[in-house]
Order: sequence, then C-alpha cells, then structure tokens
Amino acid sequence: MAELVLNNIKKSFGDIEVIKGVDLKVSHGEFMVFVGPSGCGKSTMLRMISGLESVTEGSIHIDGADVTHEAPSKRQLAMVFQSYALFPHMTVEQNIGFGLKLAKLPKKEIEEKVAEVARVLKITDLLPRTPRQLSGGQRQRVAIGRSIIRHPKIFLFDEPLSNLDAALRVQMRLEILRLHTRLKTTMVYVTHDQVEAMTLADRIVVFNHGKIEQSGPPIELYNHPANIFVAGFIGAPAMNLIATTLSTDKQGTYIDLDGLRLPFNLKANAVDKMSVTFGIRSEHLEVCTNDSPDFQAQVEIIEDLGSESLLYLQTNFSTEPLTVRVSPENDYRTGQKIGIQVDKSKMHIFDTETGRNMS
Amino acid sequence: MADIQLPHGTGAPSAKPFNPWPVVIFIILSILAVLFLAPTVGVLFSSIKTTKEIAFGRLWDFPTSVYWGNFADILSNPSVQGYFVNTLLITVPATVISITLGILNGYVFAKLPFRGSGILFLVIISGMFFPPQVILIPLFRLFNGLHLIDTLWSVIFIHIAMGIPICTLLMRNFFATVPNALREAAILEGASEWQVLTKIALPLSLPALAVLVTLQFTWIWNDFLWPLIFIQSDEKRTVMLGIVNLKGQYSVAWGVQGALSLLASLPTLIVFLFFQKYFIKGMTMGAVKG
Repeated sequence: MAELVLNNIKKSFGDIEVIKGVDLKVSHGEFMVFVGPSGCGKSTMLRMISGLESVTEGSIHIDGADVTHEAPSKRQLAMVFQSYALFPHMTVEQNIGFGLKLAKLPKKEIEEKVAEVARVLKITDLLPRTPRQLSGGQRQRVAIGRSIIRHPKIFLFDEPLSNLDAALRVQMRLEILRLHTRLKTTMVYVTHDQVEAMTLADRIVVFNHGKIEQSGPPIELYNHPANIFVAGFIGAPAMNLIATTLSTDKQGTYIDLDGLRLPFNLKANAVDKMSVTFGIRSEHLEVCTNDSPDFQAQVEIIEDLGSESLLYLQTNFSTEPLTVRVSPENDYRTGQKIGIQVDKSKMHIFDTETGRNMS
Repeated sequence: MADIQLPHGTGAPSAKPFNPWPVVIFIILSILAVLFLAPTVGVLFSSIKTTKEIAFGRLWDFPTSVYWGNFADILSNPSVQGYFVNTLLITVPATVISITLGILNGYVFAKLPFRGSGILFLVIISGMFFPPQVILIPLFRLFNGLHLIDTLWSVIFIHIAMGIPICTLLMRNFFATVPNALREAAILEGASEWQVLTKIALPLSLPALAVLVTLQFTWIWNDFLWPLIFIQSDEKRTVMLGIVNLKGQYSVAWGVQGALSLLASLPTLIVFLFFQKYFIKGMTMGAVKG
C-alpha cells in the first residue's frame, strides 16, 4: 500500500513534448485507471512511474519519498505488461520466483511463496510448464503471479488484457478486481478501452495529447464530463454531439434545434450567437408515445444487441445520426418516422471552441 | 471433376504429368555430394595406405587392408603432440575472448544504444571488410616492434581482433530479437543490466552462441596464414603448419599427412556435434507471445 504523487510531470522525446505537465495524486489502495486514445501519453506516464522512462521535468513521490531519479528496482513496484513478458526459457515456477531468486532468498522460502501465489491464482498445475505451453489467459495469470509475489507497493498494469479475446478479457477483468479487493494495493492501470476503465476504476484519468482532460470516479465522468473530449470518449455508445449556436433573449439562454427551443441555465458566461455543441446521451432520448414529441426523426439503422437495441436516427439538425437506446422488444423498421422526447435535465452544452462544458 | 484419387493410385493410372525436377535435383545434389566428399575420402584412403601403395598410384583403389602405421607414427611423434597443444592454446582463449567481447558489444548496441552508437557499430563491422593480406605487412612490423613474433600471443591477438566484428554483428542481431519487455520486466524484478544479460538475453541466444562458437573455433583451429607468418620455431607450430612440416625433404609423406589431417579435423567435428543440439533447442523456444 502506498500513495503516489505526480508533480507537474513533463516528458519530451527530442523536440516533441509528449507529456505536458501532469499533476496527480493516487491514494493508498486506490485503483486508478489511465484511459485515452492511442498516443495520448498514458503508457509513457506509466513507464515514468515505473522508472523505465526518465522524467524530463517534475517529480514522482511514492509514500512521501522522491523517487524521480531512483532506479526502477528500488521503487518496489510491479508491472504487468501487455505482452506478458514472461521469460520463455524458464518454467512458470522460475518465472514467478525470479525476483525472489535475484533477492537471494533461501530456496525453500521461494518454493513456499511460489506455491502460495500459484494456489491463489489457481495455476499450481502449470508450475512445471514453460510459457510456450500456456494459453493467453494462463500467461497473464503467471505474469500477475510474478508481480504479486514480492508484495510491491504499487501495481502497474500496461494494457494487460489487450491480447486476450473478448470473453477472456471479461473474466480476467473480474479477477483483477478480486485481486484488488483482496490485496488492497494501490494500482495504476492503463487501457484504451473505456469499458475496462469504467468497470475497474475507483477513479479514471482521461488523457489526451499528453494532458489530463478530467479525473474522477467513473460515474462522475459519465454524468458530468468536463469537456467534449471526455463526453465523446467515456460511454458506449458515445454521447450524441450536435453542433449548433447559442441564443439569448429575455427569457434566458437557449439553443434552437430546427424549431425546438431547449433552454439552459449555464454556469459559464454565455455570449449570444456563440458556437456551442449540444450533448445528450442515447438513454436520455426517448421514443415518444404521445402526439407531442420534441422532434421528428427517421430510423436509419437498427442494431439489436440482445439486452437492448440502438436506433440510429436521421434528423434535420444533425449531419451525424443520433443514437437512441430502446428496449429490444420493439417493432421499429428502417425508414420509419418516429417522435423523440429529450430528457431536459440531462442535457450538456459545450463551448465548441474550448471544448469546456458550460452546463 | 469429382474424381477421388486413392492414395498410391491403386485404381486407374493417374493423368498427372511426369515431374522431372525431383529427379534432376537429386542427381545434381548427388554429384555435388561426391565432389565435396572426394577429398575427404582421398585423405582417409591415404591415411590407411602405405607410402608405397600411394606411390604406385593406388590411392583411389578401395583398400583391401588397413595400414595403421601412419597413425602410429603420428601419435608417437612428440612434435605432433606439441602442435595440438599449441593450437588449443591459441584456439580456446581466442574463441572465448572474441565471443565474450562480441556478446558485450552486441548487448550494448542492441539494448543500450547511445548517441553515435549506430556509427560506432558500423565502424566495428567494417573490420570484416579488410582482407588479411592487406594488414599483413603492417601487422608484422607492429608485432616485431612489440617482440611478439614467434609467440602464440601474436596469433591469439590477431584472432581476437579479427573475430570481434562478426561476433558483435551476430550477437547484436540476435539480442535485437529479444523483446525489450523481457529486459524491462527483469529490471523491475530487481535485475541489474549484467543479470539481464546473463540470465535473460544470453540463455535466449544459445543458438547464436552455438553458431559463433562453431564458426570461431573452426576458423581459428584451421587457420594457416597467421601462424605461417608469425611463428617460426618448430615447438610453437600449430597443427596446420605441422601437416605441411611433415613432408620429407625429398619425398612427400602422403600417408602421415593424411593421418594428421584426419586427427586435426576431429576437434572441430566434436565442437560442431556438441553445439549442434543447441541450434535445434534455440529454434523451438517461444518468444514473448506464442
């Protein structure tokens, strides 16, 4: 268990600045997930925490101690790699016990600890095998075993599930959660999969272009995205985003979607006729059963997902289709005209220029 | 179109056209094998025949009896024993040192690059492109000045130096195939760079090592040029010089030379057979992902 503090971390490769000043505090036992698109700097950030990558500017503190220039092995961290990074010439047993052997622990003690870890991860049968003889899920379990045996202060996961197939990914996700519940160790987990981030994290940090866009508990990010990027990145299907302009009159601020007036109480200062982006999640649009819908739309595509269905709708005010979640027991047809009602309490308005959430 | 072909064509004769290529390739390979093996067979025959038989032109006749006298002569000759010891004293240290330096160089170039390391690598590799004849005279003058002429050291040094480029190239290229994640995982487990090299990178590079040991050992053991230039006294001669030295002043002792040639090729054969299994072992080993 440890607390991790990042102070104004910057990283440049030559002239290219990939991390542009990151401040972050990860508390004792917290499960922190770094999420973002490819090349956003989340993996570089993790590698700097591990010490595998040097820090250009700023400082890293673990449990109050400045480890910015400390060697990776001195930081008492463990890392699970996307490629598992198991040593192919060693058996599972030797792989798991590798760190202890380097630390010159007595052979008997290593054997006992390896056996204990293997029992916890249910891989006792695999101990005499080599990594080549294991499936992807088994390899990942061995990699996790190798990292937990030394009781590190912080676990680092670098996209550990990306090489697994979808079903196994869900299973391993649960196992990692169980592991965290039992060990209560601080964990920093990097992924580009926002579903993984939502399900695992105590707190999510959304990275983009080497900066933190927003950090907070998954539900907070989902319900109150700080900007357009987070709104579009968190949640599947992505939030409906419609470019429009803001208007102000005596009654207040509103947007006009093809004759539909949607009023807003904005926190930020609004300027009349400024470009804004209207955001609404697919579950906050409802197919209208009465005869006073907010707007009319035409069904373009229907995706049946089993537990729910997604309707992609053509409207007069948006070039991109709008997504609406509906019950799977529906009888909509493509081309059908339907009325839609907007949940007025769940609407977002973003400043198109700065991306900031104004609502 | 739905004809079913039975294996080995027990039914109607198949209409498949005759493909001459396997036969042609077989014949060409057979001819090549005979051409390559002929000298070896010649040496073998000469070693088990008397000088008289060979002088009468019966070298290529299939031997009806085996004459062991040539081997007895060789084995009882104290100079020959000296030749073997000298060659071992040159080959083993030169092989070990050149490969060790190649491993260290290769690891740094593959895993710990620094500013200018690419250029430095090319400079080292360019050492391979100088033919020995070009550096022969300057080297002779240098070694003469250092009083290394007629010592085993001269040949050891030259083979270490000549071996560094190829050893560096081969090890660097092999280390480059060892995934960086393995090095990083080992470092996070507490391994030093030296431990990464000895416990991870080297065990994974056994095939490259096996190739290098075989190549270097054979090349240095069989070398004729450098000992010929740098060694003058009989008690410092290597086996290859010894073979030439065995010819008499007025006659050629084919039988004795043949016997020594065969004995001289045994160590390289043993090295090859010993390391051969690592070639296979290395190839079946899994990398990071299966």
